[in-house]
Amino acid sequence: MTTNRRQHTLEVLVENEPGVLARVAGLFSRRAFNIETLNVGPTEDSSISKMIIGVAVEGHSLEQVIAQLDKLVSVISIKDVTAQAKEVHDTQPDYQN
Amino acid sequence: MAKHVPTANGTEMTGATSLVKSLEAAGVEVMFGLPGGAILPAYDPIFDSTIRHILVRHEQGAGHAATGYAQVTGRAGVCIATSGPGATNLVTPLMDAAMDSVPLVAITGQVPSAAIGTDAFQEADIRGITMPFTKHNYLVTDPAEIPGVIAEAFHIATTGRPGPVLVDVAKDALQKMTTYNWPTSIKLAGYNPKTTPDAQAITDAAALIAQSSKPVFYVGGGVIKANASAELRQLVELLGAPVVTTLMARGAFPDSHPLHMGMPGMHGTVAAVTALQKADLLITLGARFDDRVTGKLSTFAPNAKILHADIDPAEIGKNRHADVAVVGDVRETISALIPALKAALAKSQPDLSTWLRQMNSLKATYPLGYDVPDDGSLSPQLVIERIGKISGTDTIFTSGVGQHQMWASQFISYEHPRTWLNSGGAGTMGYGVPAAMGAKVGAPNATVWAIDGDGCFQMTNQELVTCALNNIPIKVAIINNESLGMVRQWQTLFYEGRYSNTSLESKRVPNFPMLAESMGCVGLSCERPEDLDKTIEKAMSINDQPVVVDFRVHRDAMVWPMVAAGTSNDEIMIARATAPDWDSQEL
Repeated sequence: MTTNRRQHTLEVLVENEPGVLARVAGLFSRRAFNIETLNVGPTEDSSISKMIIGVAVEGHSLEQVIAQLDKLVSVISIKDVTAQAKEVHDTQPDYQN
Repeated sequence: MAKHVPTANGTEMTGATSLVKSLEAAGVEVMFGLPGGAILPAYDPIFDSTIRHILVRHEQGAGHAATGYAQVTGRAGVCIATSGPGATNLVTPLMDAAMDSVPLVAITGQVPSAAIGTDAFQEADIRGITMPFTKHNYLVTDPAEIPGVIAEAFHIATTGRPGPVLVDVAKDALQKMTTYNWPTSIKLAGYNPKTTPDAQAITDAAALIAQSSKPVFYVGGGVIKANASAELRQLVELLGAPVVTTLMARGAFPDSHPLHMGMPGMHGTVAAVTALQKADLLITLGARFDDRVTGKLSTFAPNAKILHADIDPAEIGKNRHADVAVVGDVRETISALIPALKAALAKSQPDLSTWLRQMNSLKATYPLGYDVPDDGSLSPQLVIERIGKISGTDTIFTSGVGQHQMWASQFISYEHPRTWLNSGGAGTMGYGVPAAMGAKVGAPNATVWAIDGDGCFQMTNQELVTCALNNIPIKVAIINNESLGMVRQWQTLFYEGRYSNTSLESKRVPNFPMLAESMGCVGLSCERPEDLDKTIEKAMSINDQPVVVDFRVHRDAMVWPMVAAGTSNDEIMIARATAPDWDSQEL
């Protein structure tokens, strides 16, 4: 497991449905992932919301955070938008379960 | 059973009828449940349905029965309960199913939508409660959504990594009129499980295997879920490497096969545990590096590269870094790996003879065994071993959790997948009887034995009433050591024999045979070794009623081998304060 103390910023598209914030926040809480910041807003498509999540990766790999997030059926896609981040995690289909 | 006639889309009906028609359309034949106020509208159309509804005595029984049904049939198990306490009684089975990747659909009634959030009578936020251990869950307040949600629920529960899905339906959504509309296709933007492995990953995996000189197949429950036993055997015999099957994978590979080293983990065999510790490659198939298998993670399989094949990408690298990861259905993965490995072996065939000789030496030197008490009392391991021998390898066994579970995993020979059902990840005491009930419903022609403990049995035995009344003739062996035996074992080993609150006194109270008889079962008892076989044979001869046998066994028997919690697999003990004689082994 890689240890990386950097903060990463994830742009997460989710279904705009009741309970979706609880699903994401609950996942971070029960997996002991640290949320530094969390913003939720609308997108052009009213059925989809965008979450910007600042996550302090410490003890868990970023890959594990993303893979667990992507297991949520309500999560449509996850992009690492950290400044200088080169990796783009298009969740279709590599991180799908 | 009346034949199901599909309902035409566009038909007007209540939400309740739409729910039941949707369950029929999803192919449900059996469900386990118990009605109450909020779910009551659904029970009216259930009265007329082609679905067999089995009325349980406690919702937890419904949940584990649905799990037992799913584990033997490979299909989704279905349970149904009312709001509030009815729904919360399903929480343990849902968590259990999530930990062991069981396809389960739970239907719960909810208070009317206008009352949600008011602390109404029997209101519980069951969607919120079950978020951590359902694959997905729903709260339905619009009856028009019912068919689509039910179709999605079954799709999610049974595809990808299987798991539980809960559908909570508000009472007014069940009562209102709606137009039935079963979807022709399911499209979920956030759910698209990858089942076909990448070709490059297969090539890399085959190359890694061909380079290894001490490979081990580390086989997990995913192989059973994916119905991959036949393919696994081909792959194993192609390479000729040793195999270990985890607690969830017992039966995935025949115990009688010469390459089988047994079960790894906290109570695994010396050969299986050592195979993992000394390997240079773990060929990990549908397993998840659980702490009960790895022991202290930092010392687990220190020299091994890891090939990890799993359908869940989040398992890759979760506990142990994978050198080669193959994401996909494990049956597809193994099927693709066989020709790839043939090609790789044609270029370089590793010599595994030394490795196999070492492992076979360990297997021969340290077979599973137990001491027979010299006071003439009954040994629990002997009871379980004889049940396995007399009942045969087509029998389906379930267990509770504790010493009897470990002995049942060790001393019964499993030759076929889906013949060993237990609560592996969750460790749910009380799983045995209701899971056996569900298993017998799913496989009515099979003999089903629940190997239970006296503690576990007292948690869920009320479902024997359900079995007696619904012609579900299971057999239950209570391994009665009048203790919470595994906890007592830990107290013996780690708490100086201070037996705080582990004595159940169950040889005095309750009287298990009388309890069984009162529930419409045959109750038998056995406490002398000389009566053992004839008691088992008597139980085997009764097939029109459930049978409960109170096997009154020696109290101080312990489960060995053992890797104590938090310690390294290298510290495996074959008996109290007795390590294997490593110096005599060529390793």
